[in-house]
Amino acid sequence: MNAPVLSAEARELALAGMGASRLRKEDARFIQGKGNYVDDIKMPGMLHMDIVRSPIAHGRIVKINKEAALAIPGVHAVLTADDLKPLKLHWMPTLAGDVAAVLADEKVHFQMQEVAIVIADDRYIAADAVEAVEVEYEELPVVMDPYAALLPGAPVIRDDLAGKTEGAHGKRDHHNHIFTWDAGDKTAADAAFDKAEVTVSQHMYYPRVHPCPLETCGCVASYDPVKGDLTTFITSQAPHIVRTVVSMLSGIPESKVRIVSPDIGGGFGNKVPIYPGYVCAIVSSIVLGRPVKWVEDRIENISSTGFARDYHMDGELAATADGKITGLRVNVVADHGAFDACADPTKFPAGMFHIVSGSYDIPAAHASVKGVYTNKAPGGVAYRCSFRVTEAVYLIERMVDVLAQKLGMDKAEIRAKNFVKKEQFPYKSAFGFEFDSGDYQTALDKVLEAVDYKGLREEQKAKRADPNSPTLMGIGLVTFTEVVGAGPSKICDILGVGMFDSCEIRIHPTGSAIARMGTITQGQGHQTTYAQIIATELGIPSEVIQVEEGDTSTAPYGLGTYGSRSTPVAGAAIALAARKIHAKARKIAAHMLEVNENDLDWEVDRFKVKGDDSKFKTMADVAWQAYHQPPDGLEPGLEAVHYYDPPNFTFPFGIYLCVVDIDRATGETKVRRFYALDDCGTRINPMIIEGQIHGGLTEGFAVAMGQQMPFDAQGNLLGNTLMDYFLPTFVETPHWETDHTVTPSPHHPLGAKGVAESPHVGSIPTFTSAVVDAFSHLGVTHLDMPHNAFRTWKALREHGAAL
Amino acid sequence: MEVKLDKQYPLDVDAARAWTLLTDLKATANCMPGAEITEQLSETSFKGGVKVKVGPAVAQFGGTVDVVEAVPAERKMVLRGKGADKGGSSASMDLTAIITADPTNPAHCVLNGQAAVIVNGKFAQFGGRLMVQVSDMLLAQFVENFRQTALTLPAAEGSPAPAAGHSEAAAAATSTAAPAAPLVAREINGLAIFWALVKSWFGGLLGKKA
Repeated sequence: MNAPVLSAEARELALAGMGASRLRKEDARFIQGKGNYVDDIKMPGMLHMDIVRSPIAHGRIVKINKEAALAIPGVHAVLTADDLKPLKLHWMPTLAGDVAAVLADEKVHFQMQEVAIVIADDRYIAADAVEAVEVEYEELPVVMDPYAALLPGAPVIRDDLAGKTEGAHGKRDHHNHIFTWDAGDKTAADAAFDKAEVTVSQHMYYPRVHPCPLETCGCVASYDPVKGDLTTFITSQAPHIVRTVVSMLSGIPESKVRIVSPDIGGGFGNKVPIYPGYVCAIVSSIVLGRPVKWVEDRIENISSTGFARDYHMDGELAATADGKITGLRVNVVADHGAFDACADPTKFPAGMFHIVSGSYDIPAAHASVKGVYTNKAPGGVAYRCSFRVTEAVYLIERMVDVLAQKLGMDKAEIRAKNFVKKEQFPYKSAFGFEFDSGDYQTALDKVLEAVDYKGLREEQKAKRADPNSPTLMGIGLVTFTEVVGAGPSKICDILGVGMFDSCEIRIHPTGSAIARMGTITQGQGHQTTYAQIIATELGIPSEVIQVEEGDTSTAPYGLGTYGSRSTPVAGAAIALAARKIHAKARKIAAHMLEVNENDLDWEVDRFKVKGDDSKFKTMADVAWQAYHQPPDGLEPGLEAVHYYDPPNFTFPFGIYLCVVDIDRATGETKVRRFYALDDCGTRINPMIIEGQIHGGLTEGFAVAMGQQMPFDAQGNLLGNTLMDYFLPTFVETPHWETDHTVTPSPHHPLGAKGVAESPHVGSIPTFTSAVVDAFSHLGVTHLDMPHNAFRTWKALREHGAAL
Repeated sequence: MEVKLDKQYPLDVDAARAWTLLTDLKATANCMPGAEITEQLSETSFKGGVKVKVGPAVAQFGGTVDVVEAVPAERKMVLRGKGADKGGSSASMDLTAIITADPTNPAHCVLNGQAAVIVNGKFAQFGGRLMVQVSDMLLAQFVENFRQTALTLPAAEGSPAPAAGHSEAAAAATSTAAPAAPLVAREINGLAIFWALVKSWFGGLLGKKA
């Protein structure tokens, strides 16, 4: 060997594999403005679509007059539900087993609902033509409150469901009732409450919010009337499912449908559903035989596409007098809007809400979620969380605080007392989840020490003793467990397709590689981290590993990216595909070195003959051999595909602590300190993890401190622009401190659990916990979000704490 | 978005003339900045529009106004208006206007207005928070225009509700004192509204402190 022999450590470092804080490969093009988003796509002969929307929340369509719009030069078509009827495309199935109007059929159910579409030469003409479409409505009474919607005489929102007593998730007992979903054991929970020494209950409202990604939704649909195939560039977090649905709806064979998710400017769950705009653009392209582009504006995005949350929750805890929780009961009224378009695995109409027992060993628990129709936009997407986990974590963390307050116990102490202990894993929760691994106490101790928790409590005590203190000090603590990585296809599917994910890896003759995935990055940095997994598994530098996603014509079928499932599911598929290649490579290396496979050791990037460091073949050597002259009996080439069906979910956890100072004169809340410890198991790229945590904490801060979608009694959404809807910039965002422990998942090939959503899920109740803590000495047990200055100022006045 | 208004405006116009003007819906509409009756559909039903211009944005509501009730003995008028704008807003209004004589001064009266205005769509979404203030402004302009127009009407002595323009003597009597044709604002001026809002906001602040 002539080349200098590098140590194994040096070679490992050069791979930039797992554990390396490798710079994001995506950023080079993004910071140069060279990204390729849906709205960047221009095709020859492309037309533009715009949507006529309802100004009212509930009403009958009396008449639609297209004449004036069609008379505008450059307008090609104006389509309404009546035009889609012959194609049976005026309604479409939703992910939740309901149907949704593509274009309003006889009536409108919410403000900004799609009523008609206009196709024109450019966006400006289309926008003018939208104003020229005359729609006459007969107004109907509006129902905005889900409790009012369930009253006997409430207006009927869904005329199309008249007489249907059976929904996709069981019996419907009222015309505005969608489903009632129960989890856990009601009898056992009731018994725990009957015997309880102490009980607490609390009502809380988790407001309707919107993920509001920087890039709004849109698509470019291009049907080729000669070849009969359809290509659609689309803002989708799940392009393969879109292909299946488009094929099912249009009748075009799936082999002739190509769906491409190009660069995506943030999704956060908002880009999981299939929206009427996509369907209309595709239909228009088929009808006109030309490419059609539709890109919604910000107001349309916030008003009509997938919202999140809107859960009215009642929680109850039963406990012993010394603070051991013995029972949990939860009742939720869930406002789903006018169509049930909640994006959950099919069998779970309230998603993974039954993670609501949290990190605590609660022997008996029951949860019941009632889905209700109102005159609001449909949705219920997982906004940076795994299907209603945010709501669940919020509830249990609030309830534990309420119990601690009642018992006069410290927040940290009561949590420690009720934790699922390290030695209890794998732990089966009262709701039936099997928690894979965890070590909550170690993580909690680490955080309490890092922030000097005792010192903070003493400072708070001193402040409270001073009647002239200009601020109220609050300390929030949350010790959450998430459930992510949906999921085992036995229980998890989307429209019947199991929630596996996939990876195909090809090693080229000269030792570089390409990997294609069924997921799609929207800012998570897949092109960077996926390559690192392969680098470590196969000993190829991550720099020469290309990662491609999002094109259904090239990528293997996968369920997409949401619910923190990329690393837990697709990451496992990568590792196992790589291991298939590794097994074949070992055979080739053994052949090349003329030894038995068992006589080889693997070291970083090479197979070595046991006991002789000078005899080895690198993966690059093996790759060449695979294409040059493979051993007898082995196929040429070096590639593999793996479809990974996870045996279980993963359960990342975190301990978050927040200190706030509330100005007693203005109600403004200053986040003095936020300490976030996350345990996501094996860490693939620490820098990307930290970036994801910063992003998630910032979005959590947004939800807790300002985001909401307020409606008036007539159903007008009074906050659908970025003037009103709170999107924090670095000006408002507090400083984040991050920390970690590592408790690998035992069932995941890499031990990784997924991370991007934990900071969102965990931080929101932490902020509420801190704000309420500031008021707790005044007897306040809960304050609803958002904790903006006005609402907090009102609370200060109400409780006599205002200056 | 629903706004309820209940306003009393004392006017230096006698009740009879004010009532005369009020019953002439076309003339009354003309007093509303930016409003216009374009067509009479029946005895009690009219077609018309309101144009609001705020900077470069123009909203043009087209719709109908119906006289639901007119009680000359009480000088009471109940109107219902409904309209929509092409840009995706709609509005409706139920208005009860009553003219009461000023018992201390027969030359004066009070215009009482009770209205429930419901606005939907973009106007409610963007303008919701300013609705009350803007309505106040509009009404103030309306009342001023109404007053000026009423003053140009011939005074009718003793008669509670004379038909407009019938008494030549009365017309002649007032014509000498009549002011020049009132400068009725034909459009709602966004800048003026903004300025008035700023003034009233500061006024409110100072008022609170005082």
